[in-house]
Amino acid sequence: MIVSSLKLRVAAVDDIAPSLRHLRLEAADGAPLPPTGAGAHVLLSLPGAARTHRNAYSLTNPPGTRSGYDVIVRRVPASRGGSAAVHERLKVGDLLDAQTPGNLFAPVRGARHHLMIAGGIGITPFLSYLQDAGVRQTGATLHVCCRESEKDVFKPWLPDGADVRFHWDADGHRLDIAALLAAQPVGTHLYVCGPSDLNDAVIRAAEAAGWPASQVHTEHFGVASAGGSAFEAVLRKSGLRVRVGEDESLLEAIERAGVAAPCLCRGGACGVCVTPVLEGDPEHHDHYLSADEKAAGRLIMPCVSRARSPQLVLDL
Amino acid sequence: MTIAASDIKSRPVYQPLSPEAAATRHWLVLEAAAQDADACRALVQAFAPVQPALQVWSVGPLTLDGLPVAVLADTAALAPQLAQAGPFRVSDRLYVQGTEPFIWSVAALAAAAGLAAEQVQLAHAGSLRRRVWCTHCHGFTEGVTTSTVPCAGCGRHLLVRDHFSRRHGAFMGVMVDAEAPGQRPAVQEVFP
Repeated sequence: MIVSSLKLRVAAVDDIAPSLRHLRLEAADGAPLPPTGAGAHVLLSLPGAARTHRNAYSLTNPPGTRSGYDVIVRRVPASRGGSAAVHERLKVGDLLDAQTPGNLFAPVRGARHHLMIAGGIGITPFLSYLQDAGVRQTGATLHVCCRESEKDVFKPWLPDGADVRFHWDADGHRLDIAALLAAQPVGTHLYVCGPSDLNDAVIRAAEAAGWPASQVHTEHFGVASAGGSAFEAVLRKSGLRVRVGEDESLLEAIERAGVAAPCLCRGGACGVCVTPVLEGDPEHHDHYLSADEKAAGRLIMPCVSRARSPQLVLDL
Repeated sequence: MTIAASDIKSRPVYQPLSPEAAATRHWLVLEAAAQDADACRALVQAFAPVQPALQVWSVGPLTLDGLPVAVLADTAALAPQLAQAGPFRVSDRLYVQGTEPFIWSVAALAAAAGLAAEQVQLAHAGSLRRRVWCTHCHGFTEGVTTSTVPCAGCGRHLLVRDHFSRRHGAFMGVMVDAEAPGQRPAVQEVFP
């Protein structure tokens, strides 16, 4: 039997910085958890004040761990409820529903060197990279761009001997992305995880420096799925009409209506939730559909995308 | 010579070399015997914009108008030449023009040096002659211009197919008279 959902128990909670909380999660029944690889994430259902939030978090435990999962959650000031739920309400012993972890950001095994660039909490997938035997044997360098006050927060999480350099916004400490990318030897794969500004800047710099696209990898996180204008979604097959509020995603509204739509990353990257559009004008925010598919407007990723028209009719 | 269209979908298709402006260093590797005056003129024109960051290597004597050329004695001399030029960087590009056995020999050296396929452009020029890989003895027969050829490894008469191996840089050869020993079609000159 393929288990697609997990029941997890909060085994430990500790605040590693004012806005960073570490959770240790174990199987509620004490059974071994599915092992995961470097770069994997888990989708947690977090009970919020008004509704349940389903957020994806990178696993920071060593690859292959079966005794428990570790995640680090940053409290987002403009939290829609997920990170606030973790920081305000979650306590040891609480039970959480989770989906079997997925991985959309695995290190490339044929690489000759792994070059990672993290922005703030975007360090989390790379904490598992640095504990991966293959990555360590190949060789890896991690550049972390963060607030100066947080540069020491992650030090206890870094394996001994890992090549990690911290950068912050002060003269002499900023990361010179162009210079870094220009000097890399052949076979280097580049991974970037951070706010979209950093991701975009690194991808642009890699293009400008002549990097082959197949050697540049990115994982987006953050607020792409946060709201926009409210609109109405009509689910043709289910015969339902759903109001999509300003602060929720189309996928969340569909789930609220009781329709179980398949999903994996909830960040517009994996393509699992792709849904045919029958009528209406989608506003795409995903990284999955091609430019042509976006222009055609016949498909939508409801986890991050919305509507330009007052109404969107979905084949769901 | 232009390569005829093939029914075999895996057959490589070549485009004229075109230097990538975003790359920082460029190497142009040529098989002198495969280039004619038109090909040389086209190369000079295409590569003029990147000339300050360009190195041209030619296997066999060749002159290009305005581009200095380092002449190498044979294909074997390319391996030490590449080793000396390295280590290569992600932003480097290699451009290769010549017969198919030549360009795929260079492609194999480039891959061994760590260059990704996207960093290497290949263009065909000159003869259509093929390197043939024998499916029976796994030996190579070089410089094949005919529809069937005696294998340089095992002596079987091989039918030269359009199936191409990028790894070997060679076309598949299968025994042509396996069903009826001694009955062989007339040998035709098809890869001049």
